[in-house]
Parts: sequence; structure tokens; C-alpha cells
Amino acid sequence: MQSESRVDPKIIEEILKFSKNVINAPKLVAAPDEIVLEVTPHDTVQMMDKSRLIHYKPITEKQQKTPLLISYALINRYHILDIQPEKSWVRNLLQQGFDVYMLDWGTPTSMDKYLDFDDYVNGYLDSYVEYIKNESSNEKISLQGYCTGATIATAYTSLHPESVKNYIATAPVIDGWRDTTVISNLAKHMDVDKMVEIIGNMPPEFMYYCFSVLKPFEQGIEKYIKFFKNIDNKKFVDNFLRVEKWLGDTPPIPGELFKQWIKDIYQDNLLIQNKMYIAGQKIDLKKINMPVFTQVAVGDHLVSPECSMPLHYAIGSKDKTLRMYPTGHVGMIASSLSQKKVLPELGQWLAERS
Amino acid sequence: MQPEQPKDRLEPTKEMTDRFKHLSLFWTDIMHLMASKPQALTSIGPMRAFAANSKKISTELIEINEDLMEFNKYLTQYYKQLSEAWGIAQKKVNLKAPEVPQNAEQIEAFKRIWIDIFDNDFTELFDSEKFGENYGKLVSKELELTKHWNKIANVILQSVNLPSKEEIDEVYKEMHSLKKRVGKLELELKKREMRKNAK
Repeated sequence: MQSESRVDPKIIEEILKFSKNVINAPKLVAAPDEIVLEVTPHDTVQMMDKSRLIHYKPITEKQQKTPLLISYALINRYHILDIQPEKSWVRNLLQQGFDVYMLDWGTPTSMDKYLDFDDYVNGYLDSYVEYIKNESSNEKISLQGYCTGATIATAYTSLHPESVKNYIATAPVIDGWRDTTVISNLAKHMDVDKMVEIIGNMPPEFMYYCFSVLKPFEQGIEKYIKFFKNIDNKKFVDNFLRVEKWLGDTPPIPGELFKQWIKDIYQDNLLIQNKMYIAGQKIDLKKINMPVFTQVAVGDHLVSPECSMPLHYAIGSKDKTLRMYPTGHVGMIASSLSQKKVLPELGQWLAERS
Repeated sequence: MQPEQPKDRLEPTKEMTDRFKHLSLFWTDIMHLMASKPQALTSIGPMRAFAANSKKISTELIEINEDLMEFNKYLTQYYKQLSEAWGIAQKKVNLKAPEVPQNAEQIEAFKRIWIDIFDNDFTELFDSEKFGENYGKLVSKELELTKHWNKIANVILQSVNLPSKEEIDEVYKEMHSLKKRVGKLELELKKREMRKNAK
């Protein structure tokens, strides 16, 4: 007697629906290349080499007195902080009455391989801070650093405390030895001298490799299945493509800067021990004595909380706040949670000190 | 007394590769010396510089061979680590979900189990010392291979009077140093002006 095996009709239905969605996808959604990531109106007010300073146009009549400069990370681009109107970090701050500037590090080429921490901290960042101080007639400004941008901003704040009124460190890369992420494991075993000598700048392809080892099955398979399943959901698809486009666009990192970052942060862990030097000047975290707000994401798999939190305990500030959020590295800056919880808390803290 | 174990004839030893390198270099050098006169006589134009530097290419090719063996060793280990992690994760999935899913809900649940177990196991691998160490060595060997290609390309570039990578690097370094000095002077001047205006 032959056994009868019946396939659940729901499975057939799902497969047919999924195939239809795949076929219809190009008709329903834009190609990532056609998407423009810049959302909130802004002007480029200053340029230095390949970097530039962006000033967002105010959207409220009442403005906080102290302007805020955001030092974005060295990986990917600043667009994630303004990825779409409902999830825009920048827009939210503008709505709260802050005067927001953004530092776009630009796209270094081979000739920028000798740019180092000194150029980024005492060159670009310092020049832009001076520009904002001058334009806004303020002696000090508020500074926010995100991810590796916070490593640079932390070094700047230690070397130039006289220019920083408030410092916000969002998922800062500080204590490399405590970092429990896959990225830190790769960084600890990297022959960075050889890489910089032979290749020059840290190539984007290497960064894409690092992304590929982070939850490879969820990020490499499941994410795209979800995308095609939800192809009719305009909001979901738009957000998905914007984040994907942002993820797929990372500039090279200047060789010398990358070398010192990997060695001093991940391999020798000098920053948290107050032993890191930039152009002969020691980065002493105790010299950071202004109000500091540190934001950490519990589920951060790029910069683990253990890597960021030591900043809170190492600085000399008396007025310091540490906030932990139940989200991830990107979720902290571009999600509904960031709009409902992270930004209102930051806005309130900053307004009280601006 | 135990008899000496015979060495695996297929596995190249350091001694063997050194002997091969010496042999290749010896004949390359002799051939180069023997050929230098007729080469100088016959090579004209762009080929003059190329002929003079051609020995560098053979030296690089010999060294590429050595590095390629090392690279392959780490690459094999890299894929071995990935396939072992895959095998272990698949076994865990089989234990946790032994039944073949029959309906849409079961397929969804199976997929969730599969992704969670695979992501956990692979993250554990990528986080491990053995993976980090091997991957570091693999990248390092890959860079050395790139360096040999760079050197070969330099010979060709020099034969057509184009600057080598090192020469371009020197220019970049000089430009960087100049820009840095000018930038610092400009910033200092700006700060002084601001202080003056403030008074």
C-alpha cells in the first residue's frame, strides 16, 4: 500500500506569493542607487580637504543658545543620523530647538594615507569648532561623537576642554580590551603596519568583510526574505532600502589614522589608560571636566557596552550621566526608540545645559 | 631503538623550499650575468630599463611561490573552520528539530531555529582566538602577495619612466607634511585674530 504525503496548501500559497513579490519588486520599489539619502535641508558652510561642515537649517523659531556639532563615525557615512524624516536624529534635535552642525569626513583617496589622529582632532575638528564658535558668537559649543567619531571627539575634548561646553558620547569606542565584539577580535589579530604599508588606506572591502561576520545568517538571508515578503509595505521597504544603501557605502579610512586607532585602542588599549598620544600631546581623560552624557546600547554588536561605559568612570567631570538603552548600535540613533526615548532624554539634558 | 619515521614525501619542508629557492636564484643570477652583455647590446628604448630590471621579476616570482604555499595553508584552515562550524551547527539543528516540517508554521519555526543556531555558532567561531589568529595570518600573507605584485608592477612602471609606488608615496608624504604645517599656521592666525577682535 502506497503512503500518501500531502503538502500543506499554505506552503504552496506562500511560495507563490513570495515568487510573485520577487517578480514585482522592481516595479514597486526604487533601486538603491535612485534613493537620495540627504533628507533635512542644510548648507555646506565650510570645507577642508575632503571633509566638510554641514549646517542644518533651523525649523523652530526659538533656538537654544549653544550650537551642537556632531562628529560622525569613520565607518559608513553621516546619513544614518538623518536617514528619513520620522527616524532622523538631526531633525528631532532641530525640532527641539538646537542649532545642529554635522562633520562629514568625506572620502579619503590614496593621497590621504598619511592623515592621522592629529589631522582629524587638531586639524579638521578643531577648525570646524573654531568656525562654529565664531559664527555663533559662543566661546564654547556642545559636541557629540558617535562610535569612532566619539573616539576622535573624546580625544578632542581632552585636548581642548576650553572649547566644549557639553560632551555627548554615543556608543564611543574607548576600552578595546573590554570590547567583546567580533570586530575587536579581528582587530586584535591584525598586522596593521603591514596593511597600511602595502595597501595605504583601510579599504572599504575589508569593512564589508567585517560586516559580513556579524550575524551572517540573520543579516545575510533572513533580512532579504523579510524584504521580499513585505514588498507591498511602502514604509518598511523605504526604510529597508535607505539603511541598505547606507550600509553599502563606506569610505576608506586614512592609513595612518587607521593604524593608530587599531593599535592604540584595540591592541594596546592606550586611551582608557591615559597613555595615548596625539602629536606629542597626552590624551588625559581626567581633563574632560565639562558635563558629559554617555549613551550606550545594551544589544550593540559593533561596540559592546563594556567598551563604551569605562568613559563614564574615567573622566574628570562631576556632572556626568550614563544611559543604557535596550537596542543596538544603529537602533540607538535611527529607530522609533531613539525618537521616543533616546532623543527626548538627550534633548532635556542638553537644554538644561545650553 | 625505534626506527626513524619516513617523512611525508608530498609535504614540502622548509629545507626543500630553501633548496628550490637557491637553485632558482643561482640559475636566474647566472643567466642574468651571462645574458647581460647581449641584452645590453640588443635592448634599446623602453626595453633597456626593463631588461636591466627583469631579474627583479624572477626573484619576486620565486618569493610569490613561497608565500603562496603559506597563504594556501591559512586559507585551507579558514575554510576548514567555516565548514566545521557549519557541521556542528547543523547537528544541533537536527537534534533540536528532528522532524521534517509539514506546514507553513512549522517551516517558519524551523527557519528560526536554524538561523539562531547558525548565527550563535558562527559568532562563537568568529569570536574565538583560533579564528582571529588564523584570519590575521591569512590577511597578512595576502598582503605579502600583494606586495610582490606591487614590486613586479614597479619594474614595469620604471621601464616606461613612470613613478613607482614608493616614489608616489614620497610625494604624498611631503604634501601631507606641507598641508599640515600650512593648516596649523592658518588656524593659529585665525585664533589670534579672534582673540584680537574679542579684546
